[in-house]
Amino acid sequence: MLSMKKVSKVYQTEMVQTHALRDFDLQVNEGEFIAVTGPSGSGKTTFLNIAGMLEPFTGGQYMLDDVDVGSLSDNQRADLRNQKIGFIFQGFNLIPDLNLYENVEVPLRYRGVKAAERKKRIETCLEQVGLGSRAKHLPQQLSGGQQQRVAIARALAGEPRFLLADEPTGNLDSLMARQVMELLEEINAAGATIVMVTHDPELARRAPRNIQIVDGQMADFTLYQGATDIETRQPAEV
Amino acid sequence: MFVHYIDLGWRSLRRTPLVSVLMVLAIAMGIGITMTSLSVYHMMSMDPIPQKSSRLFHPQLQTMDEGNDTWSIDNLPYQLTYQDAKNLAEAPFPKYKAAMLRSGFTVHMNSSDVRPFIESARITHRDFFTMFDTQFQYGGPWTAEQAAAASQVVVISAEINEKLFGGKNSVGKQIYLDDTHFQIVGVTLPWDAHLKFYDVNNGAFNSHENVYIPFSLVAAMDLDTWGNTNGWKFENINTMKEKRQGEEFWLQFWVQLDNEADVQRYGEYLMNYMAQQKETGRFNREQLEFGLRNVNELMDYRNVVSEENEVLVALSFMFLAVCLANILGLLLAKFMRRAPEVGVRRALGASKRQVFLQHIVEVSMLGLVGGVLGIVIAQLGLWGVRVTQEYYSSLATMDWTMLLAAPVIAISACILAGIYPAWLVCRTAPATYLKTQ
Repeated sequence: MLSMKKVSKVYQTEMVQTHALRDFDLQVNEGEFIAVTGPSGSGKTTFLNIAGMLEPFTGGQYMLDDVDVGSLSDNQRADLRNQKIGFIFQGFNLIPDLNLYENVEVPLRYRGVKAAERKKRIETCLEQVGLGSRAKHLPQQLSGGQQQRVAIARALAGEPRFLLADEPTGNLDSLMARQVMELLEEINAAGATIVMVTHDPELARRAPRNIQIVDGQMADFTLYQGATDIETRQPAEV
Repeated sequence: MFVHYIDLGWRSLRRTPLVSVLMVLAIAMGIGITMTSLSVYHMMSMDPIPQKSSRLFHPQLQTMDEGNDTWSIDNLPYQLTYQDAKNLAEAPFPKYKAAMLRSGFTVHMNSSDVRPFIESARITHRDFFTMFDTQFQYGGPWTAEQAAAASQVVVISAEINEKLFGGKNSVGKQIYLDDTHFQIVGVTLPWDAHLKFYDVNNGAFNSHENVYIPFSLVAAMDLDTWGNTNGWKFENINTMKEKRQGEEFWLQFWVQLDNEADVQRYGEYLMNYMAQQKETGRFNREQLEFGLRNVNELMDYRNVVSEENEVLVALSFMFLAVCLANILGLLLAKFMRRAPEVGVRRALGASKRQVFLQHIVEVSMLGLVGGVLGIVIAQLGLWGVRVTQEYYSSLATMDWTMLLAAPVIAISACILAGIYPAWLVCRTAPATYLKTQ
């Protein structure tokens, strides 16, 4: 589904050249749940931004569903992002002026989904995250965990095949984080491919596959095989 | 999506009410000032009689001795002598023609019921009403027989008719002009033209006269002009008869020429006429010259819309530009503050074009509200002009084209001011703001 070959990203200023990603290779298959870990500044978010086509890469090749992302125009990338990718951010990134219903509606508007279909999808997604009764509330009237669930509903509304989550539980307490993680696992079980950046090793262990980025390169690769119960998962030989 | 953009624009304006009000006020002030000067300019420069302006011609004759100058750019006198105006009016060609001059009287009813008042009058031929498409509320022009007999008949305006007769049909009734009683034969409706194009010598923007009497009365009653008289040589004039026989220029003259062949033919006629007059010894010059301009050509020739008016319009547009510069600054600050939200929208699939359009719709809404408020300010400005500048009172008004133009100019101006901020915000790199939200 997602294939990166020798992808690199260089931030260039007059004085300094910073390699955020170097010769980065990754293959993500349909239905996978991958946790990406690494120290701060290692390039996790850069990887996620490139994967989500939020910023261009400097070199290498990135294929998403057999489409060469590097050859797309900005508008084509926006379309592809809208059609195939859902985002969940650490800071939720809900639009404060819009109520929950309208926040979830945003990606559907840009996709040109008809009003009746939009309504159906939004209600379903808000129900799915347990906030169906609070559709008219504004984001600031909700707790952090609830806001993140709205962000998940927004990501789900477009029925994306590929969900990118950047520290989705970073701003939440442990109980909320657990609930959000369970929700992501449900979504993954329903067929969506998820790539989640996290600092939390406990959360990372819940993902069937872990990758670690250090200094813009994949430093370690851990695959938890066969276990469905996270308590019994053990690293496998690679 | 357009309706959605309107919704987003409305929310955005409500989110920052103070900034929104400031921007609306800025554009409203700019539009108000601009539309005030532009409306006056528009009324000044518009074709006063569009349905006929290309067929109505104003002849000028060079009847001065060689070596004499007048003020015109081509040295042709602006007006005609009485004898020339009379001769041309009595010529068999063309069908419609009218000599005229501005005069005036004390109008009264020879009773104590109505207070006497002074009114300027136009003394002219009956073709005046046909040529200039004058509309009548009651009656019509005097007849050719009445004109030939120098009958004391008068056409009055609806305004005078309202004052003297309460607006009722007054045809057949009598009024007094100075000490002479006149019988009313017609009551005219107000003129459409805001410009007194048929006599720019005596104030192009003065009101149209309210009283019209036959040209034959100039001689019969020894009537003099209330308008400008221009002389070019010394003449010992002590009586009106001497003035009528003299070489002073004090009358206007118009003809209707319906096609190019008629224009050509009339030009030849004028040359022949001047040659005849030269032979009588009236003037001494080698080259005979005449002018024959239609309404709009004459307005340009006489600089009816002066350079000062154009400068004023240009200055008001510069003021609008200053307002726009302020709006641009406010929009930049406002839109860039919203960059994180734009980043989210971009991440959720909005294209640059969609983000750009969303912001352009928002600035268009500002323009629309500012434009409507600008019309109100312009109306106040025009009212101020009417109150303080009586000469421009008929021009200080907005016609429907100006009413429509105001919001169009306001929206266009706001879009112009909003293009750069909208372009800047649509180029927001989504990744830059997603972490900082």
